[in-house]
Amino acid sequence: MSFVLGLVVFVAVIGPIDVRLPWPRDLTRAP
Amino acid sequence: MIAGHFGFAAAVKAKAPSVPLWTLMLACQWLDVLFVPLLLAGVERLEPLAGTKPGTYGAAVIHADYTHSLAGGLALSAVFGAVAAIRYGGTSGLVLAMVAFSHWVLDLPMHRADMPILPGAAGNLPRLGLGLWRFPVASALLELAIVVIGAALYWRAARRLGGAGAPQAGRANLCGALVLLAGLLTLALNVLGM
Repeated sequence: MSFVLGLVVFVAVIGPIDVRLPWPRDLTRAP
Repeated sequence: MIAGHFGFAAAVKAKAPSVPLWTLMLACQWLDVLFVPLLLAGVERLEPLAGTKPGTYGAAVIHADYTHSLAGGLALSAVFGAVAAIRYGGTSGLVLAMVAFSHWVLDLPMHRADMPILPGAAGNLPRLGLGLWRFPVASALLELAIVVIGAALYWRAARRLGGAGAPQAGRANLCGALVLLAGLLTLALNVLGM
């Protein structure tokens, strides 16, 4: 349960919020 | 180890910000994602230690002879990275392949000596694993440290994105708090045998 719940929360809940943050597109440029 | 992998992926996001967090989280658990169907199919299995309830934290010998063999882990991680590279480019694909293989590396100190070198334990070579799970409190504290440090690095990187007062600041704080809370919840459920 901990594995499935963790994966669902990180991938399907937090992931979509994170992609809306203005992270740099350049891999080498740290924020 | 479950929560510690998420913590490590969060730390990588702080250093490789262009790679989407959800892909890093999926990558860090890729070997376990593949383990589940093989477990259900009876190809790989969990053997609880004598006298322990199934699901007790760290109290099992894990016969994941394909997904968690050294060569199998490398190959499966390379596949993950190659597929990701199609969408996100070669450098991100390489980062994701390395995060996928970090699962094996972080499992190494935890597992009892049950991780084979070759898939299917071919060649009867020695199995690997340092057995920290024999000391559940130490194991849980190590995972806790990885979760807290990883979440802190992610949160700090997210907060730096838009500067103080920017519209993204609230979303950055929300993400940081969720990463920390989800990591702690996952660890707590795992330690409680859930």
